[in-house]
Amino acid sequence: MKVLTIAVTEYLNAVRSKAFILGVVMMPVMMGGGLIAKLIAEESEDVRDRTVAIVDHTERLYENIASAAEERNADVFEVEDDGSSEQVAARFVVEAYVPAEGEQRSPEIVLSDRVRSDELFGFVVIGEDAFETKRSHDDGVSYFSDNPTYDDLPDWIERIVQDAVEKERFAKADLDPDLIDDLTRRVRFKEAGLFEVSEEGEEVGGEEDDDVKNFVVPSVAMFLLFMLLMMSAPQALNVVLEEKMQKISEVLVSAVTPFELMMGKIVGTVFVSMTLSVLYLGAVVISTHYFGIENLIPLGVYLWFLFFQVLALLIYTSIFAAIGAACSEMRDAQSLMTPAMMLVLIPMFFWMVVLESPNSPMSVAVSLFPPATPMLMLMRVAIPPGPPLWQLGLAIVLTCAFTAACVWAGGKVFRIGLLATGQAPTMRRMIGWIVSK
Amino acid sequence: MNAVRLTGVTKTYGAHTAVDDVDLEVPAGSVHGFIGPNGSGKTTTIRMILHIIHPDRGEIEVLGERGTRAANDRIGYLPEERGLYKKMTVRRLLTYYGSLKGMTARDARSAGDVWLERMGLSDWATKKVEALSKGMAQKVQFISTVLSAPELVILDEPFSGLDPVNLEVLREAILELKKAGITVIFSTHDMAMAEQLCDSVFMIFRGRKVLDGTLETVRAEYGSDTIRVRLEGGRRHVEGIAGVDRILDLGQTQELRYDGDPQELLKTLTGRTRVQHFEIAHPSLHDIFIRIAGPEAREAVA
Repeated sequence: MKVLTIAVTEYLNAVRSKAFILGVVMMPVMMGGGLIAKLIAEESEDVRDRTVAIVDHTERLYENIASAAEERNADVFEVEDDGSSEQVAARFVVEAYVPAEGEQRSPEIVLSDRVRSDELFGFVVIGEDAFETKRSHDDGVSYFSDNPTYDDLPDWIERIVQDAVEKERFAKADLDPDLIDDLTRRVRFKEAGLFEVSEEGEEVGGEEDDDVKNFVVPSVAMFLLFMLLMMSAPQALNVVLEEKMQKISEVLVSAVTPFELMMGKIVGTVFVSMTLSVLYLGAVVISTHYFGIENLIPLGVYLWFLFFQVLALLIYTSIFAAIGAACSEMRDAQSLMTPAMMLVLIPMFFWMVVLESPNSPMSVAVSLFPPATPMLMLMRVAIPPGPPLWQLGLAIVLTCAFTAACVWAGGKVFRIGLLATGQAPTMRRMIGWIVSK
Repeated sequence: MNAVRLTGVTKTYGAHTAVDDVDLEVPAGSVHGFIGPNGSGKTTTIRMILHIIHPDRGEIEVLGERGTRAANDRIGYLPEERGLYKKMTVRRLLTYYGSLKGMTARDARSAGDVWLERMGLSDWATKKVEALSKGMAQKVQFISTVLSAPELVILDEPFSGLDPVNLEVLREAILELKKAGITVIFSTHDMAMAEQLCDSVFMIFRGRKVLDGTLETVRAEYGSDTIRVRLEGGRRHVEGIAGVDRILDLGQTQELRYDGDPQELLKTLTGRTRVQHFEIAHPSLHDIFIRIAGPEAREAVA
């Protein structure tokens, strides 16, 4: 009963604070931040002309590139609804290199200087034997620039040159380019799930894999759980530490046992975090229904999310609350927090591995490691078709046991730490507290 | 009927014995003072009475409950310093503390309002604790202690840092508790206050009980070798008199420990200066405290 009183007070203290309201708003902003930045970046795409000089030793390819550029440049404008047009990509302007009269220096030197003085974006040298079918030392095309990370232009040139050269080679061999296209057409390949026989006796399944379902949903679910955990569990440390520093803990433990006090904090934290997940998951449910894509996220994923969220909160809130109780100063708490944070961060190191091969021995092992289970097992559950049942069962058993151990050990450290003053205990000393009677 | 009874209670922290084989009886309805220097074991004893920590040996009985926290809802506890949430409003804080003591939220709220009224803090009920002055915060803290109408109130250093006005408010509040039949235990360094308020005192020094009893018995135990004088010209006139082995200078008056016939001393003093006041007295609690825990005593123990 008193646990509930404490939990409700903790909950109200948390949700009434400005930090909470800010957090509710900030989290989607942070998660959506990448997307927004990308949109902004697209809006402000650098559309300055990219002028490139071409030294064409074949004396035939330049024409191809120039006409392809013209065609492309006509396409960089996007017409808006109101009839106005806006440039959405940079134009590629090509010029043939003609040495100035009496120029003694090599074209490469001359053009490099022009790139350096910003007259050109880059230049291309096409080898004399580019059209030849036999390899020679002068059959390549080179692109030189001062912007090694900008690859739209070189990629485009490579493609144009390749097309032109292929076409010419086919023609020379008296082959019809259309026939070649037909003959080399790529086989359609699809990745799909398994078939099964439905209750009506029909064969169903074999649906094409959906990247959103297979990659985006599991990753977002895991990161959302991670963020929710990070928003609430470490708070317990601050609250407990502040109570200890203000000597409030002493009043509290004269009214309730330390364990009741800690459980009150934990339950309060679970309430807070659940409020957040109801808000966010609710938003997801509503928006997927609105867009008619609700089958992307099966109901089970939501339920597992909430289940693992509670376990993760129990584990980490008891750890953080215990650290808060053991320390007398924020500074000491910071250093003791590091090992706990390492545990929280394990899923961050492994989520790519798990996403790519959710049933590999590595993924299985790390997702059965209790501190990481809530996040990584959630991810595996969200990746169709999900982990084998025995693994899920084992994960639940192990994590529940670990959770109970954390709450028990946290409770002991909490009880002893809360009244200890002075220097922060070492890890070893805290373990001593846990095993003491 | 005892509100608190400790029998052979010992608590050690590693090699350090914080409380060593202490017996104590606090009769119900009395005001009991815990005195003793810092670090002598007062807070440890109080925490054991509250069952926040457990003794290694011995037995503790509080309000008829032996060795369990069962009585804790009937105890009000004011720790040595602070103990309030700065960000909560006064009313919400009192309601919370009250519910932790087993009151319903509604009862806690109305009891809180009554107390705030009595302490002249009604206007502050909806203000945050951080907005209160130190004296007001201390009153709120006191209210949180007595809100649930406890049978036993334990106050750890309640007077430290109070200005005279607030000190008087608190003193009266304690006397009111006593009138209502509530047992009060408080620890203090203020010997004058202890003398004024306490029915009995308990002193603990280096973990051991060194004094226990009513003020009268304690003072009688320390004899009548104390003589209080006020002299024209002050302290210098009592210096160098044979038999005076200790002078406690209280400013206007001096307390002397004199081994011999007081009449002889009076004669000597009238020979030296005009005597305004001469009293054969019991030692003050202050003096007893110094005798037990002062530098001489420390040296003797060392």
